[in-house]
Amino acid sequence: MSPENLKNGDNDELEALFDQIADQQVWNKAAEPEAPPVASAAPVAQVTEEVLKPGDEPVTDSDTDPHDVFYRVGQLTRKLHDALRELGYDKSVETAVSSLPDARARLAYIANLTGDAAEKVLASVETCQIINDGVADRAKALEKQWDKLYNNQMSLEEFKAHAKANQEFVQDIALQTQTMGSKLTDIMMAQDFHDLTGQVVNRIATMAANLEAQLVQLLLDTTPKELRAQTEEQWLSGPAIDAEGRSDVCSNQGQVDDLLESLGF
Amino acid sequence: MNPEDLKFLIVDDFSTMRRIVRNLLKEIGYNNADEAEDGAVALSKLKNGNFNFVVSDLNMPNMNGFELLSNIRADAELKHLPVLLVTAEAKKEDIVTAAQMGASGYIVKPFTKATLEEKLSKIVAKMSA
Repeated sequence: MSPENLKNGDNDELEALFDQIADQQVWNKAAEPEAPPVASAAPVAQVTEEVLKPGDEPVTDSDTDPHDVFYRVGQLTRKLHDALRELGYDKSVETAVSSLPDARARLAYIANLTGDAAEKVLASVETCQIINDGVADRAKALEKQWDKLYNNQMSLEEFKAHAKANQEFVQDIALQTQTMGSKLTDIMMAQDFHDLTGQVVNRIATMAANLEAQLVQLLLDTTPKELRAQTEEQWLSGPAIDAEGRSDVCSNQGQVDDLLESLGF
Repeated sequence: MNPEDLKFLIVDDFSTMRRIVRNLLKEIGYNNADEAEDGAVALSKLKNGNFNFVVSDLNMPNMNGFELLSNIRADAELKHLPVLLVTAEAKKEDIVTAAQMGASGYIVKPFTKATLEEKLSKIVAKMSA
């Protein structure tokens, strides 16, 4: 779902297309829904060995020549870049990272949707308050007249006018309650933002988890030889590349923290 | 059967949406409705209850709207149940899939009471035809 698709109402063309296909009744053979694709980790050990030779040291804060540091950083970056390409990660990491602007658009969509819903509800509430106040005022006025009547303070002419006023009030109530009922329906309908924003929030969460999983996997695969045993111990089951399993993500957060800390990050 | 006696099953993982659809059905005149939070729960309720109509969201965990529809159409007892799919996306391929899989209709969120009423009466009319 992209923000451009999120428009109100139906499309007559789509409606006609649906009717056309539905009338053919092709559903005797149930179609299989597609399973979400799961990223498979490519064999990485060999390539990593070649790229990160035993002699390589991670860049540290030392009193070495800045040119030397620069040279080494540049070398490392080149090697990482080539490794990414050889491992086939460049595309998946790129996809994960490029989904971020989309995430921002989605968050903006959520802000707009919830804002519109709030405005709609407030407008309906204001209308209802006016109607409600009006009904209350008229009822009070009529009540005063009733008191007058029961205190024998009303003339026949006044009583005729009072009877008419009551009749008009009762007739108006029918209209007022109809209007208020419709406003209450509007308020109820405006709550649909919860569902639409909820779906978008879930997608963003999935996106973020996916990105994290990609980067953690990349980190694991490029871990230098001397740290590998340690990381394997820390990370027995492996992170969830399949971002569909949302419950996995929470339980892996602690694992991710531990892993990063153990690697000195 | 009287339209007012139709027993609906509302399927959506968001409780607010289920509540909204339920209230709308009531306003339109359908007072008999039950709810399910995903396709799996829905299928189990359908197999055990006497439902006449299914209104289902597409995006749900465990078993989504398409999978539910597929299971309904594959079941001898349930295959003729009218199924109205509710979708947040007016994507052409989803609508084509819905039609091919035997959905009785589809409606795009956010929808109005009038649209829902129109879609329902269209399907109900076909039922009694």
